[in-house]
Amino acid sequence: MALGRETWRLALKLVVRQPGRSALTMLGLAIGVGAFIAMVSFGEGARRSVVAQFEVLGTNLIKVQTSTPGVNPKMRPPMPLTDSDVTMLVREGTTFAHVLPVARKNAGVAYGGEQRPSWINGVAPGYFGIHAWEVASGGIFDQSDVNERAKVCVIGKTPARELFGDRDPLGQTVTLAGTLPCRVVGVLAEKGYSTNGNDIDDIVLLPYTTYNTHLADRVAYGYVEIEPLSKDLLDSARAEITDILHRAHGLEPGDPNDFTVSSPLEVIRAADRTARILGTLLAAIAAVSLLVGGIGIMNIQLVSVAERTEEIGVRAAIGAAPSQILAQFLVEALILTIIGTIVGVTLGIVVASVVASNMGWPRVISPSGVLLSASFGIAVGVLFGYLPARRAALLDPIHALRRQ
Amino acid sequence: MATPVIETVDLSKTYEGAFGGVPVLSGVDLKIEYGEVVALRGPSGSGKSTLLNILGCLDRPSRGRYVLGGSDVSGLTREEQAWVRLHYIGFVFQSFHLLSHATALENVSLPLHYAGVPRARAEETARELLGRVGLDHRGGHFPAQLSGGEKQRVAIARALTSRPPVLLADEPTGALDTRTGTEIMRLLLELHRERGTSIILVTHDPSVADYADRQIFLRDGKVVDTPEAAVGARA
Repeated sequence: MALGRETWRLALKLVVRQPGRSALTMLGLAIGVGAFIAMVSFGEGARRSVVAQFEVLGTNLIKVQTSTPGVNPKMRPPMPLTDSDVTMLVREGTTFAHVLPVARKNAGVAYGGEQRPSWINGVAPGYFGIHAWEVASGGIFDQSDVNERAKVCVIGKTPARELFGDRDPLGQTVTLAGTLPCRVVGVLAEKGYSTNGNDIDDIVLLPYTTYNTHLADRVAYGYVEIEPLSKDLLDSARAEITDILHRAHGLEPGDPNDFTVSSPLEVIRAADRTARILGTLLAAIAAVSLLVGGIGIMNIQLVSVAERTEEIGVRAAIGAAPSQILAQFLVEALILTIIGTIVGVTLGIVVASVVASNMGWPRVISPSGVLLSASFGIAVGVLFGYLPARRAALLDPIHALRRQ
Repeated sequence: MATPVIETVDLSKTYEGAFGGVPVLSGVDLKIEYGEVVALRGPSGSGKSTLLNILGCLDRPSRGRYVLGGSDVSGLTREEQAWVRLHYIGFVFQSFHLLSHATALENVSLPLHYAGVPRARAEETARELLGRVGLDHRGGHFPAQLSGGEKQRVAIARALTSRPPVLLADEPTGALDTRTGTEIMRLLLELHRERGTSIILVTHDPSVADYADRQIFLRDGKVVDTPEAAVGARA
C-alpha cells in the first residue's frame, strides 16, 4: 500500500508544482545520462569510421612479401618471389579468387621535356578492381596486353597533372625509367592521401609482363596480392599460401618462412582494438558524470528534507507512518529520476546525431547502450534517493513541528 | 462511569541532558471522558507541550501509563504510534501547519490517503467537511490564497476527516484576531456537539478556556488545583 498509485499521483503533483526545483534536481542526472549515451555513440561512431577508412584498402586482400634478411648468419638468404612462385600459387591454390603479382620501383616518368619520379607498378588487370581504382578518362589494359607485353600504361592524377597540365594525356607516349616508351591509355580518378600521408595518386601502372621484360633488373616481384574466394576463407587462404610457398622455396618442414603473409584485416583489427579502448574510456568518463548526477539528486533531496521539515512533521502528526513518508520521498526521487533519464536519453541522442553528422561519422545509437545508461541512471537515482527518504522517515515529528 | 477516552497514571517525562535528567512532567494523573471539552492551562515551561505531545502519541512517557480508548499506548513503536494518531487523534495547531503545495481539498483528504481510502471517496468526504466548515468554494485554493481564519477552518476539517475521538488543539486562536478566534471556537464547539469529539484545548487565553467544560492547570510538570496556583508560578 505504501507504494500505491495514490502515492505516485501525489508525488508527481508535487514535482509538477515546483517546476524550478524539479528541473534543477534532474538536470545533473539528465546531463549524465545524455553524456553517457553521446560518449558511447561517439566512441562507436569513431571506431566504425576508422575501420571504414581501413576497409577502403581492401579487407580480404592478403599480401605476400619476401622477408627482410634475418640476422642469423646460418640461415640462407630469403628467396625472392618469382614467376614460378606465382604460377604455383595459381595452379595449386583452391581458395584464391585472384593472384596478382606486383613489381614496383620508383623511377622517372618523362613527357616532352619534363621528367619526375613516380611509383611505377607492373600489375595484372585485376589490380584495378581489387584496389577500387576508378578511371577518370580512357580505360585500362587487359589480359591480351599482358600476354603481348604491350607498351601501354595507366597514369595517376598526380603525374597526369604534373607532366601534362591542362593537356589530355590520352594517346600520348611517356618514357618510363628513361628507357621504356609507353602509350597512356587511361588516367585514374583521384584517391588522395593514404593514412600515413603518401600521395596515392602518384602512380603509373603497366602490365607486369611488360615491366618484367623492360624494367626489371631480374624477374622478382615486390609482393604478390591474393584475394581469397570469400572473406570467410581468409585464414585457410593464408595457410594454403604458406604451405605452397614453403614447398616452392624448398624449405624443410619446421623451417621458418622466408616470406611474410599479411592482410589489412590485421591492421583493421588493431585499429578496432584501439578505438574500442578509446570508446570504453569515454564511457567510463561519462559513467562518472552519471554518478555525479545521482549525487546531485541526493544533495537536492537532502536539502529538500531539511527544507520540508515542517511538512514532514505535519504529515507525521496527521498519521503518516514512517514507512509512508519514506515511500513518498523515494517515489518523488524516482519520478525525478525517470523524467531526468528520459530528458537525458533525448539529449544524448540529439547530441550524438548532431556531432555524428558534423564529423561525418555513422550515427550509431545502440539500443543496449541507451538501455544500459537509462537503467544505470534510474538505479543511481533510487540509490541516492533512498538516503534522504530514510532521513525524512526517521525525523522526529516533535522536532519537525517545533522548528516552525 | 464509562471508560474514559484518555487516562494517564503517574505519567512522567524526563529529558536526559548534559547535567543529568531534567524532569518536565512528574506524576500526572488525568481522566478525560468521551465527549468532554477540557482546557489545559499553565505558564510557559509548565509541561503543557510535552503533555500534549504524549497525549498525541508524538512522544512517549519516561514512566507511567497512558491509556487511550481503553488500550495502553505508552510503549508503541513509531509505526504503531502513527496508526494511533491517524485513527484516534486530530491535531489543530496555532500556526495551522497546512501543506503549502497542496490545495485545501488535498490537505483535508490527506489523512484518508494515509488510511488507504480510495481517492474518490476520500475527496467526497473532504468536500463534505470543507462544506461543513463553510469553505465549499475554497477546495481548489492553496493555503497562500486563504485568510488566517480560512486556513484554521481547513486545518480543523483535516483534523476531523478520519473521525478521531480526540481533537488536540494547541492555541487554535493564537494567530487570529479576536472576532475570527471567536468564530473558530464556535465552530469547534459545534463540531464537538455534532460528532461527540473530545477536545483538549491548550491555551493561555482565559476567555478561550471558558469554552471548556473543565480546566486543568499545570505547574512545574504537575497538575494543580486552581488557576491561582498555576499563575502564581509565574511570579
